[in-house]
Amino acid sequence: MIEFFKKMRGGKESPPAVNLSEILWSWLGAFLGITAVAYLHYKLLSEQHIVLIIGSFGASAVLIYGAVRSPLAQPRNFVGGHLISAFIGVASYKLFPDAVWLASSFGVATAIAAMHATKTLHPPGGATALIAVIGGEEIHKLGFYYALVPVGAGALIMLLVALIVNNIAKSRRYPEFWF
Amino acid sequence: MKSNTLNQCTIGFSEDDIIEAMRDISGYLDITPSDFKEIYQIASRHALERLKNSVKAEHVMTTPVITVEEKTSILDAAKLMAENNISGIPVLDSKQYVCGVISEKDFLKKIIRKDGKINSSFMSLIAQCLEVSGCLTSDIRLLSVNDIMSSPPVTVQKSISIMDVSAIFELHKINRVPVLDSNSKLIGIIARSDLVHALC
Repeated sequence: MIEFFKKMRGGKESPPAVNLSEILWSWLGAFLGITAVAYLHYKLLSEQHIVLIIGSFGASAVLIYGAVRSPLAQPRNFVGGHLISAFIGVASYKLFPDAVWLASSFGVATAIAAMHATKTLHPPGGATALIAVIGGEEIHKLGFYYALVPVGAGALIMLLVALIVNNIAKSRRYPEFWF
Repeated sequence: MKSNTLNQCTIGFSEDDIIEAMRDISGYLDITPSDFKEIYQIASRHALERLKNSVKAEHVMTTPVITVEEKTSILDAAKLMAENNISGIPVLDSKQYVCGVISEKDFLKKIIRKDGKINSSFMSLIAQCLEVSGCLTSDIRLLSVNDIMSSPPVTVQKSISIMDVSAIFELHKINRVPVLDSNSKLIGIIARSDLVHALC
């Protein structure tokens, strides 16, 4: 029992802060990446609910522009995680259309499990799965196309920006691996 | 016992060292210093295991081996060792099996000091030679190799790992060991220095 509470103390060192150029490159990448998807979404998919998916991409931006070396930020995880989670989110809603609370938890939990199993763990994937359930009528109407547009298309645009911006920076290299 | 000292070496860096290294690498590293330390320690343990098991005696031994017959006079043996600049050689019997090893130590032990003590090192022999008018070596000139060699010899099989070889060096306090094939025939020899080369 004491062991249990001892674990909560932490007590280990936290990693160092990054330098200024890293901060600026993260800012620039995220600015351009989110500009691209947000602009397209608001101009082309103006229905309020479909635009929700931007939230999920905001989380992805932290990883693919801010933690470029992270395994969680690599293309396999970023694109694969979103696609798989989107598919599972849609399926979960179709499975439990009358119990949104259950579809929500089942969708997110299963998305995490599936991402683990396919080596595509990408934290924003959980949001992508959740949005498929709670995103409302417009998103439900898309069915499995939700995984292609807005999710898949948006991810590819963000990836393209990441490939360009992260490789212009001398101190960066992206990706570490593709698959 | 060897592996313990090596493991201690790998534990010898602090989390501050890791944090310093993380600062040197630009970009955000998605790992805590303690996680990195754990990975490093486990990885070095694996590397050590691999080294232990993958590098065998036959990979580091010197070959061919300079040998002497057991009936060789120790004068000839000494000349042979001097010519080749080696401090010990395996002794073969008439069937070409290793029956002993003869080393500098064996010579030293046989050169009796005036005071009856045994020479424990080369320097104690030098001291003796300088002290009296000449060295008392005449009484051993007629001996042959099998009179002074260390026998039975410590030997190893060619498939033994180099970690085990180093343990044998420590255990028997020896500096070289003949390597035998599965038919117990001599195929090489390992000196302590060969192990140093193998590890670096």
